[in-house]
Amino acid sequence: MNARIFALIVAMIGMLVASGIPASNGRGAPVPTLSIVSPTPNAVMGNGTPVAVVFAVTNFNLTEPGNGTSSPNSGHVDVFVDGALTAKASVNTIVLALPSGPHTIRLRLVTDNGSALNPDITASVAVMATRGPAGGTPGLSIVFPREGALVGTDSTLSFRVTNFVLVAPGGPAGVPNEGHVQVRLDTARYAELTDDAPLHLNLKDGPHTVTLQLVDNEGGPLNPDVSVSLHLTVQALLGRVTPFDATPYLALANLLIGLGILAAIYRKLEAH
Amino acid sequence: MRPHLPAARQQLEARRHSTLLALVALMSLVGVSLSSSTAVAAAPSLAIVSPADGALIANGTPVLVDFRVSNFVFVQPGRVGQIVLPNEGHANVFLDVQYVRLLTAVEPFSLSLTSGAHTIRIQLVADNGTPLNPDVSASVGVVATHGPQGGVPRVMILSPTPLEATGHGIYVSYRIENFTLVEPRGQPNAPNEGHVQLLVGTDVVMEVIQYEPVLLVSLPEGDITIGVRLVNNDDTVLANPSASATVPIHVVASSAVSLPLVSNGGVALLLAFILIVLILRRRKLAARDANARGGNP
Repeated sequence: MNARIFALIVAMIGMLVASGIPASNGRGAPVPTLSIVSPTPNAVMGNGTPVAVVFAVTNFNLTEPGNGTSSPNSGHVDVFVDGALTAKASVNTIVLALPSGPHTIRLRLVTDNGSALNPDITASVAVMATRGPAGGTPGLSIVFPREGALVGTDSTLSFRVTNFVLVAPGGPAGVPNEGHVQVRLDTARYAELTDDAPLHLNLKDGPHTVTLQLVDNEGGPLNPDVSVSLHLTVQALLGRVTPFDATPYLALANLLIGLGILAAIYRKLEAH
Repeated sequence: MRPHLPAARQQLEARRHSTLLALVALMSLVGVSLSSSTAVAAAPSLAIVSPADGALIANGTPVLVDFRVSNFVFVQPGRVGQIVLPNEGHANVFLDVQYVRLLTAVEPFSLSLTSGAHTIRIQLVADNGTPLNPDVSASVGVVATHGPQGGVPRVMILSPTPLEATGHGIYVSYRIENFTLVEPRGQPNAPNEGHVQLLVGTDVVMEVIQYEPVLLVSLPEGDITIGVRLVNNDDTVLANPSASATVPIHVVASSAVSLPLVSNGGVALLLAFILIVLILRRRKLAARDANARGGNP
């Protein structure tokens, strides 16, 4: 009796050992590995173009999902973008369309039935997607009018933005090279521009200062600040050519004639 | 023994012998051909079939890259128990300097391109990712544009018409052909893409990326020339003469300008008339008084 129990225990320990060893250190086959080759960590993916994620595996056979052969050394890759399952891949390149902002791409080796390996094998990379260019320093300049220009009450300001893309405000913060243009007129907020269309100004007579500033999606200035100021003098009816402006003389004449009329009436009344 | 065998049996034996010989010969032939093929196939080669070198990838579409490989077998890298063989591996694809694809099959693939010149390079690598020795790679240069594939860029001014008399603010409408307007962002120049500059005289007063009419305000009075021209992303004017258009117009003052003059002048005339009437009446009165005094004292 004791001998049978002992034999049973030995057999169970043996089974446990036998089942445990290959699972823990993979005596049958070396442990698979997974690494992301491209993009590099914290890479900026510009122009809103899709991101090509290239990864490498070792000791793992990539197979089309759902082919029915479940083994710890074959299967496919689950792709997570910001924690959400986005794609499955059985080839070494995945092309992902990412919206603007910071993203974490995480890859995980899974067996054909979709379960994670034991131990779990994952690789992740953080990237920054922007609709603007990936590199370059943002610039802003005013094409027209020129500094110190004399303009009419109606005028148009044409500007130029480089290495920066104009998008509607409210996108994620901290995205490089994308945002909008803030316009201040004599220190007061005047307009927010999200496209290249020239700005139409309708200003009172006198000197004015128009300031254009590139701001990020949250409305904060860029670092370093990118802004440009323009000093304008507004004069009504500028550009109107009148051969001889008799208005002041006529006004004077009106005044004198008016006085004459009063004098004439007074004398007439006095005469009676 | 042999002479004692029947003739039929001898014949059968001989046939079997010859069949065996033929089989051996065939096998050796196959063997030779197989060994010769592996011996000759030592150098893998790679060629990009499409796009052609210097091709224009128009309309902002992705480019489809098609390539051919010989003497090289594509396999999935990193497989269990894989050993590195000289004529086996995969391909890496680089767009300019960016690593964009790892190919495990000889199939066409597409790449999105930004405007400008790009180099697409495909390189064969062994299973462990190291380049072959000697290196086997192929590259092709392409130019990407948002503009159309061909045609001569052209702009025409539809309104105002030549020598038209206009006010100080006018809408300029134009028609653009074979040219795509894109935001100037400091990107490289590309054929048939760019933006529009509007000129008053020789001054650029506006840069726009719109096909709709553009409002010009505060135009100086007199005979002026309005110009519309197509420019590259870096503001350089297109060389071809049909990419610019000008129209002479005559800007005249609006009635608002002459209104103060007219009203002031009118009031002055009215007042002067009243004064004259008053003076005349007074003189007449004085003359009548004098007559009356002289007639009957």
